[in-house]
Amino acid sequence: MNATHPTAVVPWLGRTALLAGLVLTLAVDGHAQGRGRRGPRPDGAGDGAPPPAAAKPAEAPAAKPKHHVAIVGGDVHLGTGQRLTGATVLIADDKIEAVGHNLAVPEGATVLDAKGKVVSPGFVCVLGNGMGAGRGTPFADGVNPFDPEIKQGLAAGITAFLAGSTGSSAMPSGSNAVVKLAWGDAKGMVLKEDAVLGLAAELSLGDREKLAETVQKARDYLKALEEFPKQKAADPNAKEPAMPPGTDKVIAVLRGQAMLWVQLGGGGMGMFGGGRRGAARSDDVDAIRQALATARLFGRGVVLQKPVSAWLLPDEIAATGSMVYLSPRDRRPADPQNPDRTGSNLASAAILAKAGVPVAVTCPVGMFGGAGVGTGGILGQDLNTPHVDAAYAVRGGLDGRKALRTITLDAARLLGVDSRIGSLEAGKDADVLILDGDPLHYATFVTIALVNGKVVYDKAAEPLYRHITR
Amino acid sequence: MNLPEPRLLAAALCLAAAIPAQAAAAPAAAAPSFEVWHPRRPASEADHQVAKWGPRGLPSPGYAFRAARVLPITAAPIQDGVVVTRNGLIEAVGPASAVKVPAGYEWVDCGDAILMPGLVELHCHIASESFDLNDTVHPTNPEFRTLDLITLDHDQILAARAGGVSTALYIPGSGSNMGGFGTLTKTWGRTPDEALVRFPGSLKIAQAGNPERGSGDLGTDMMGMSEGIRMTLLDGRRYWQQHEAWQRGEGPQPKADPTLELLRGLFRHEYPVSVHTQIYQVVLQTLQQLRQELELWTVVVHGTFDAYRLSEDMLRAGVPIAGGPRQYYFDNRTGRFEGLLGNWSRGGQHGWRQPVLGLGADGLGVNTDSPVVPQEQLTLQAAMAVRLGWPHEWALRGLTINPARFAGIDHRTGSLEVGKDADLSVWSGDPIDPRSWVELLVVNGTLCYRRDPSRPVF
Repeated sequence: MNATHPTAVVPWLGRTALLAGLVLTLAVDGHAQGRGRRGPRPDGAGDGAPPPAAAKPAEAPAAKPKHHVAIVGGDVHLGTGQRLTGATVLIADDKIEAVGHNLAVPEGATVLDAKGKVVSPGFVCVLGNGMGAGRGTPFADGVNPFDPEIKQGLAAGITAFLAGSTGSSAMPSGSNAVVKLAWGDAKGMVLKEDAVLGLAAELSLGDREKLAETVQKARDYLKALEEFPKQKAADPNAKEPAMPPGTDKVIAVLRGQAMLWVQLGGGGMGMFGGGRRGAARSDDVDAIRQALATARLFGRGVVLQKPVSAWLLPDEIAATGSMVYLSPRDRRPADPQNPDRTGSNLASAAILAKAGVPVAVTCPVGMFGGAGVGTGGILGQDLNTPHVDAAYAVRGGLDGRKALRTITLDAARLLGVDSRIGSLEAGKDADVLILDGDPLHYATFVTIALVNGKVVYDKAAEPLYRHITR
Repeated sequence: MNLPEPRLLAAALCLAAAIPAQAAAAPAAAAPSFEVWHPRRPASEADHQVAKWGPRGLPSPGYAFRAARVLPITAAPIQDGVVVTRNGLIEAVGPASAVKVPAGYEWVDCGDAILMPGLVELHCHIASESFDLNDTVHPTNPEFRTLDLITLDHDQILAARAGGVSTALYIPGSGSNMGGFGTLTKTWGRTPDEALVRFPGSLKIAQAGNPERGSGDLGTDMMGMSEGIRMTLLDGRRYWQQHEAWQRGEGPQPKADPTLELLRGLFRHEYPVSVHTQIYQVVLQTLQQLRQELELWTVVVHGTFDAYRLSEDMLRAGVPIAGGPRQYYFDNRTGRFEGLLGNWSRGGQHGWRQPVLGLGADGLGVNTDSPVVPQEQLTLQAAMAVRLGWPHEWALRGLTINPARFAGIDHRTGSLEVGKDADLSVWSGDPIDPRSWVELLVVNGTLCYRRDPSRPVF
């Protein structure tokens, strides 16, 4: 194994060698640790066998009382921007039952003492890979709940992320899922399939026309569908309207079943900037405006993916209800001919948040690391420290309380799953972290992570960071 | 069986013999403190024969910077402190109540901020484009130099200022075994000549783990690459020895050779070799070949993977580590994330080795290898190292005075002391916390970056 790593450290070595090293790493880990589609599933889930009757409490609620977990005495960050000192987070089975002061802890509850510690929602990453996720729709069929990367993700505070691809063509497309890091529980891993549909901005006039026509067809169909019960009542022989071919994805967006993410073009932000080498443009104002036109076309806000120039148009973006994700550490140099209206800006997240635009952050994508955990990257440049990206948003002027939202509630909003995850509120999934310090401090570690109400990571019990004490 | 090269064998035997004895003696004696090994180093700038030093004391206005907390680094922190600067130099450092500020000096009120020296980066490629990095005309290229490439308005230099970096060692890449000579430059100056600290800053050697791509004729494995490095350096040593003999009146003046001339300065310990090296075996080779066999002033500029197992050897040999940009090593055998600088600095039982001493507070720094990691994120390297076990106070030294010592420029920069260059960085909070920002950067007494909240950096 070690023999593959020297190639990975070398800054200027070809990516092919790096990839080869990673592939080898995956293969070896998979063999040793049960990774892969056919990995062990002791609960019998997903192998076609019907679960035993005892595993169906939902159908017989009286048969099994709820199991409670109470996280007591911590400094609780709700993820909404608020904070409760010395509060209790009460969990019933896989959901949060209550958060507050002086809550009665039910008899028989498991009590986790969080005095002197910080409690926060699990971190949500708008992009990710690995960590037990499958590689295609349906993701539920491909998860590996015993992927060692899940433990690593949990150690980083991640409890959910978007796996798979988001499209970037002229019509909405994508194959992805919001995946939870439910160690050992295959059924608990996929929160939502096809949560996001992607679309390119800066389409040709022909493509825009085609998109507008498709949206119109879809709207006509939805309207006809809405009126159908009335028609049916008047005329029992009325025929149910048929979905026009090729409109299913657009309909998913119009119905709010999937979020529409817009790829702004111009390529990713390279590690070498690129502005001076002509590899990438120093602004994407036109692409953003077209994305906002798309938002108006759909009548819903879109998600702008890593915009460079969003800091120049915060109010226009806010007016459409659109949202943004970015890496505060991505840098695009300004065009020396027009320095005040081009290039990136460390203050982007702060400027957008001030205008009311929800912002999520993700890690920069360079030659090493990227949107995954893994063991071959450079710490601080990957998902092993998502809180560092939020910290850089603070460096750019974002209010510290809002900054936690960029990796919790607002990240969940961008994925369209904020009714389930992203904050510590009654009724939401019990994905909770107990931390040994301020969530955004660089030296803070996760001590305990719960997903779906179960303790799935305990720093003291795992080799990863157990030896690091202060 | 092939026998190893005799000198290497001798070095290896010497090392092998030394380690158990030292390990046994360690508990009794206090750990030795780290000193950079460069015994031939000229006593003053004027004694350098090959290196060219940049100017000092250039005109700058009189300023008195007052901040809630001043970190001189080589002295205790000062609450409500003042630093007085003029003509590029620090004139006074102390508590506001004790420092007398001459009339006519402008007060710069830094409020609640933390004032510390400008940061020193020992491994970067920031002053020109990435396509200038790796000319690999030959397997070793001692005739190359970065001095002529510096662009002080380069994007990465702008990011350096926004990140509090005032001095940078700008070196060639690791595409060949010997990339050429690097330049120590300030990150601001009216001209590159004014910004110059010293040329050569160092000679860049890449021991393994990248130069393989271009070597070709002389082999792409460790032995072939070592041979190329050794032969080039032996030429330089011969030239240096001839010069020394001539200067003692014991031989003829050697025929001038501009390339060998720069290598001569290396053997005079006027500047170090910056060695791209990582992994236990390769760093051991650096120690044996460059430091022990060729007796060069040696600075390791990655030192990643499991190389930290050599911490005691490096401590005793006086070889410092500018670690990074990788800050962890995942040990497959234990399933642990090892913090590299924590392990280098503290020592301990590193896996299969007997317990070894660490490099302590003085033997370590960090680097970004920018633009691999943007120059602005030098402090993040420290943050990640502290996260995994490097003591915070040591990290502050590792961003300032330590790299200045490794490069031999600590008489000019790296701490707030009277007579040193007026290089100051002013931070909104703990400089190592990524949430803190640079309010102000002063280089050679000139305010060259002031944060604009609407756009702190592009």
